[in-house]
Order: sequence, then C-alpha cells, then structure tokens
Amino acid sequence: MSDAYALFLGCTIPLKFPHFEKAFREISALLDITYKEMEGASCCPDPVATQSLNVDTWLTLAARNLAIAEKMDLDIMTVCSGCYETLKTTRVLLEEDKDAFGRVNSVLNQINYKYKGTSDVFHFVELFVQDEMLEKIREKIVTPLDNLNIAAHYGCHLIRPSNILQFDDPERPESMDKILNILGANTVAFASKLECCGYCARLNEDIGFKLVEEKMIDLTRLDNEVDVMVAVCPACVSQYDRKERLLQRNTEEDLNIPILYLPELMALAFGVDQTKLDLSRRSVKPKKLLEKLKI
Amino acid sequence: MTEEKAQKIVKASELDHDLRYKISEQVGAKTLLKCIQCGVCSSGCTVSEFIDLQPHRVVASLLLGLKDVILSSNAIWTCSLCHRCTERCPKGVDYSFILALIRNLAVEEGNAPKEYTDTIKTIYENGFVVPYTEGMKKTIDRRRESFELPEIVSPNLDEIRFIIKNTKLGNLIENENNDKKEDK
Repeated sequence: MSDAYALFLGCTIPLKFPHFEKAFREISALLDITYKEMEGASCCPDPVATQSLNVDTWLTLAARNLAIAEKMDLDIMTVCSGCYETLKTTRVLLEEDKDAFGRVNSVLNQINYKYKGTSDVFHFVELFVQDEMLEKIREKIVTPLDNLNIAAHYGCHLIRPSNILQFDDPERPESMDKILNILGANTVAFASKLECCGYCARLNEDIGFKLVEEKMIDLTRLDNEVDVMVAVCPACVSQYDRKERLLQRNTEEDLNIPILYLPELMALAFGVDQTKLDLSRRSVKPKKLLEKLKI
Repeated sequence: MTEEKAQKIVKASELDHDLRYKISEQVGAKTLLKCIQCGVCSSGCTVSEFIDLQPHRVVASLLLGLKDVILSSNAIWTCSLCHRCTERCPKGVDYSFILALIRNLAVEEGNAPKEYTDTIKTIYENGFVVPYTEGMKKTIDRRRESFELPEIVSPNLDEIRFIIKNTKLGNLIENENNDKKEDK
C-alpha cells in the first residue's frame, strides 16, 4: 500500500450520493489518509452498459482515468466497487494482452495520453483492513458499536473474480467483518451473505426484487435481531434501500433493515456529528440504530 | 421423431465455425476453448431461473457455432455480473467476460438494449453516468456545497467523445442523435 492516493470518486457517489463521499472524507481525515483529487477523471466507465456495448470503449475510457493517476505518480483509491472492478480489471487485462494495450494507447495517444500500467488500484476496504490501519481505527473509536448485530454485505465486485481482484477470499471473505469487529460490533453469519444484490441485472427488475427479498428474509430469521446491513458499493446500498421499501408494501414481514455505506457507520463510531452525514436521506431510516447507539 | 424435435435440427452449413475463435482471440477470453461442460457455472448462476439457456449451454453453443441460438437467448442480457461462474470454473473460463464479448457481438449486429445506449449517451454528453449539465449541475453543486465537498472538475468532453467515437461506438451515438432529430 502507498502513503498517498489519487482519489477516484466515480460518478454515482459524488453526483447522486454526496453524503457517502462526506462520510468517507470525514473518516479519512481522522485516519490521516492522504489523497489527491483526480481532476478531469470521467466515469470509470461503468462495468455493465459500457462493457456490454464495447469492451474496447470500456478499456480505453478506463485507461484514460488510470493514465491521469499515472501522471500524478500515485496509486488509485476507489470508493465504489464498480469503479474498483473496472479500473483493476482494465489494469490486469492490459498487462496480459499486448494487442489490447497497443489498441488502447493508439487511441489515447491521439488525445495526448499514454497508458503505462504503473498505478495500482485499491478499494478503501483493502486499506482499512491492513493491521496498522485496524489499530488506528481502534484508537479513533468514540462510540463503540458493542451492542450492534451487523450483516456485512460484500457485494460481488469487491471480491470476484479473485484471479483479477486478488483481494480477500472469494468464498469466505472476512475483510469487512474484521473492520466491523474492531469497531466493537458483532457480525452475523447468514446463508445468503455472498449473494448478489441484483442491481446489475437491471433489464429485469424481478431479479433484484427476488434477491433483495431473499436476503432480507434470511436476516429476519436469525436468532439475533440485525440492526443494520453494511455495504461498500453505492449500487448495493441503493438497491437494498429502495427495494426493501417497495417489497414491504406487499408483505406482513418486517423487512425494513436499514443499510449503511461502511464509511457512514465508521463515522458514527468515530463520533462524527451525525447531522453532517444526512443519514435521513434513504428509504429505510436508521432511526432505531441511532437510538441504540444513543446518538 | 416428433415434428417439434425435427425443427431443432441444425444443418452443418448453418454453423459459424469461426465463432469460437472470434471470441477466444479477444482480450480476456483466451480460456474459452478449455470448457469441459461440467456445468459448475450454471449450478451457481444467480439468474439461473430467469434464463432460457444456462451458462454452460451458452458456451456449448458458442463452441459449436450456433450464433443465432445464442443471440436469440435472453441469457445474454440477463446476467447480474456476480462473477460466480468465472470464480468457480475449474478450467479458468471467464464466462462473465465472455458474455460481455457476446453482448458486444449482439451490439455490432444492431441489438443494443435502449437502457445501455442511453447510458453511453449520458457518458458521451456528461463524461459521467449521471447527467451533470445546466439545471442538474446546479442542483448537484448546491447539494455538494451543503456538505462542504470540493467542486467537481468535469473531464474534457472532447476527449471522452473522441474515445467513444474511435472505439466503434460512434455509430450508436450518431444513430441516437438522428433518432432524436426524427422524433422532433
């Protein structure tokens, strides 16, 4: 890991969910994480539509973003799993395939960019789970999460495919649980822990509804009542938040488990004023959670 | 043989024997030819019950050259990109990426879903997947200001557009623009 990073925000967080960005910046400041803004970076681009339309377009737009970080002589830190997947996969594929490397650069050269492959790509979870960073996180706790039962939702693009992302165990991940445990929380084991949120299957909404419902029912059947589910990808957070609410209309079950972006929960544990975080900006309000934490 | 079965007979002359190489020669698809049809990809597929052709059958059809069977299946656009197929394949076949290449093929033949062309159009016009011009820009900037977040520095759109146009998606944008004009 590096001393400083080029901060790649992507589009969804800064443009649609700035409160997530706020939480990330608040905890980064407390943890002394040094980063520089990536001015002029574009959409990563998204690993669904752009990749589906044309892999070369996807690789070239991604390589342009990577080239910006290379000019800054920094590795990239992402705050979204979609960006993480796109940028890291592009880096690996262009290293493996010299023809693609050449094709991408022949386009980039015409707009005065050169992709070399010198900047690595990290998701903030990778940084936070390092031993010395876990220690730092422990030192910053103001409100321990001791009485909380939390479900960690890893999502797909943080850990799969492992031969490309090379982070955590794809079938038994533990990085998020480690971070949540350091904050004092009890993380629950549940059968659908590794299931997809379905956001990327966006041409058929039934898939998302089925997956969200299955996970929520799974969580409500546990011995310990789950206080919150935590994710590290804006697509997963918005998918559960929105669909839980819609599903609730047609069921007797209480499926309303609030979902937070990991940095939001970390900010609460670090004593960041919750009014700064605008936690009310979601369908399933984390009201009970805040009461339990007495904040 | 029933009439129904008889209709499923494909003549050798209808097979696209180069289809497998068209895909396997591309970036990220080098392992395609190693498929042993074990079905692990299908057994763990998130969207299995929603598709009419299971992942290992898509690969089998690809290896046989049954292009129409693949392109007419709903399997190609229904994937949730969970990557479990790729993760678990004992032969290292990257099915979820191969599916992206099949989607590219469908797009080349003029079958891009509107939702996806809308996305690339948004990127073409804004540099982002979220509209960031005029009224939208003002709203977003105001919200960011309320959180005391730094100003967004947009990418140079000429560069983004140059890349999109010079990686074979120019037609898609132009068609879209023409459609728009016709609508008016």
